[in-house]
Amino acid sequence: MVELNGRIDTTNADQFQQEVKPLMEGNQSDIDIDCAGMTYTSSQGLRTFLLLQKSVNARGGKMVLRNMNPMVKEVFDITGFSNIITIL
Amino acid sequence: MKRRFNPIKDKSSEIINYLMASPDMPDDEALRFKIQLSIEEVVDNVVHYAYEGGIGWLEVSTHLDSNSLILTVELRDAGVPFNPLEQSEPDITLSAENREVGGLGIFLCKKLMDSISYRYENGNNVLTMTKLIWK
Repeated sequence: MVELNGRIDTTNADQFQQEVKPLMEGNQSDIDIDCAGMTYTSSQGLRTFLLLQKSVNARGGKMVLRNMNPMVKEVFDITGFSNIITIL
Repeated sequence: MKRRFNPIKDKSSEIINYLMASPDMPDDEALRFKIQLSIEEVVDNVVHYAYEGGIGWLEVSTHLDSNSLILTVELRDAGVPFNPLEQSEPDITLSAENREVGGLGIFLCKKLMDSISYRYENGNNVLTMTKLIWK
């Protein structure tokens, strides 16, 4: 399980993408992320979640995002990401 | 509140923080979240794309109408004429495989703010967003 904490915004979105890049490669195609500590994401962060989901699908795995803050969840809902990413 | 930032290269977070510190901003956490996300998307667009090499200015302002409680956030720059509202909207019904990466920023602003409008005026791009707030 990976834990996300803090904000994904203009200051660190590139770093976030670099940090999760190992999850997009390698043999381990199932990704389980605890989002309880993630308080904000901009569209740049969303972009990385979409890339993660694409990489998981391509490898026949599953990705689950857990305990998402309601305000962040709304952003996933508005953009249709809730339909393509499993949010528990 | 109004301020012109120049130059703006790598100044996104300073500009966003300036706007969010405005006394016109609401205290409500959920409202602030929506406004900040919208501001971040449009400020980032200007900082990254309006000027070649990021050399140029961005003037930002906030205004709260005390009767209607409508907050107005305005961005003005002298960069390449660009109407972000003309961008095609992402198809949010597609599968992950078929979804394009990107194109979500302005779409989010449209959904999170009450209005967003663009005009080209005296050689400037002017983007105006409004949100009804309660204080």
